[in-house]
Amino acid sequence: MPAGHGLRSRTRDLFARAFRKKGPTHLTTYLRTYKVGDYVDVKVNGSIHKGMPHKFYHGRTGRVWNVTKRAIGVEVNKQVGNRIIKKRLHVRVEHVQPSRCHEDILLRIKKNDQLKAEAKAQGKIISTKRQPEGPKPGFMVVEGALLETVTPIPYDVVNDLKGGY
Amino acid sequence: MEPICMAFAKAQKTRSYFKGFQVQLKRRSQGKTDYRARIRLINQDKNKYNTPKYRFVVRFTNKNIIAQIVSASIAGDHVLAAAYSHELSHYGLEVGLTNYAAAYCTGLLLARRILKKLEIDEEYEGNVEATGEDYSVEPTESRRPFRVLLDVGLIRTTTGNRVFGALKGALDGGLDIPHGDKRFAGFKKDNKQLDPEVHRKYIYGGHVSAYMNSLMEDEPEKYQSHFSEFIKKGVEPDTIEEMYKKVHAAIRADSAQKKSEKKQPKEHKRYNLKKLTYEERKAKLVERLNALNSAKRNNDEDEDDDE
Repeated sequence: MPAGHGLRSRTRDLFARAFRKKGPTHLTTYLRTYKVGDYVDVKVNGSIHKGMPHKFYHGRTGRVWNVTKRAIGVEVNKQVGNRIIKKRLHVRVEHVQPSRCHEDILLRIKKNDQLKAEAKAQGKIISTKRQPEGPKPGFMVVEGALLETVTPIPYDVVNDLKGGY
Repeated sequence: MEPICMAFAKAQKTRSYFKGFQVQLKRRSQGKTDYRARIRLINQDKNKYNTPKYRFVVRFTNKNIIAQIVSASIAGDHVLAAAYSHELSHYGLEVGLTNYAAAYCTGLLLARRILKKLEIDEEYEGNVEATGEDYSVEPTESRRPFRVLLDVGLIRTTTGNRVFGALKGALDGGLDIPHGDKRFAGFKKDNKQLDPEVHRKYIYGGHVSAYMNSLMEDEPEKYQSHFSEFIKKGVEPDTIEEMYKKVHAAIRADSAQKKSEKKQPKEHKRYNLKKLTYEERKAKLVERLNALNSAKRNNDEDEDDDE
């Protein structure tokens, strides 16, 4: 009989719990709150059988579009053929973690708002744009440094044959 | 790899056993928390976001009853109010601090305390006269009653368990706790009904006074040893019900926590050894080595002398 392509096919390792981390899930999973618009990572918890997403979505990140009693609605991108579709799924909270992908920009927004407020108070004009790292500045080599020229040594047959001759 | 030892049997716990051993969650290994129950008690609907879910926690130690109102958070559980049965001495109860009646008093005390804190104690008087009947709070016009969920912990929920005494106390105190009357003392499985007379007897310590009376008649020596504290405080079987009535009234009159008059000692007593610093540990090692060397030197000298 062939293998079959059921819903959870080929998920033996994917949905397995981590080494020495089996058993009850810790309470933080249940105590977290999610709001519409938050970014979340979908990561299946194999010990909770209800509200599991399909294996395709394991490892995807999406935005919350709905919050129900025990589950979160997540909107995830999926490439189908030549286009990307926004797929809406409902996933139990045990299979979801808050994503840190958005953390950097949220911090930056806070910092920039602060900088802009300070600059406004002082009457200065500042740019909060991120700049790419430029070429490294020039420097003087330390005085008294000796230059060591490294060149390859000419091939010496006798030396190399020592082992196997 | 098996450890090399002098055993005749094969070593059972190999290195691979230890490498693959998964420890339980801390409080599970301590045997204090039932996580299956805890998850279900704490889980709040996600569409209620940060609304806290309160648990009415009742725990029994060998000499005390602890009742707390707790809400869970990621940083750790937050206790809103607590009542201990050793506080009941302020309300006139000095003996029998872990029986059904004391559990009722502790539950009642906690309920009045938390309602006072939330400023709805006037609105929700609860059941002032304990009749043993099943009583549930009726919501009033202005504010809804304070809802908590009973958390029994690890005890076996048999009919007549003291935990349900505490539950009854909290219910009569005015808290809204979803419950059934199946496990109250006095529930008859044959009729499938709660006998309020029997339950009332337990709330007022009737079962204790009945036992006291039976012991006084049949085994007066056992009575002297078993109820020694009762005798010392002058608690007679006939006065028990009166005593509890007074305690209930006192609790309803003033449920605030009383600060103890003991002063905090300037230096607290240490219950464990203080950790040594790196220098102290090195110094200790040097001392030990010196002692060993001098002892060895003395031994060698003795041997030389002997020879």
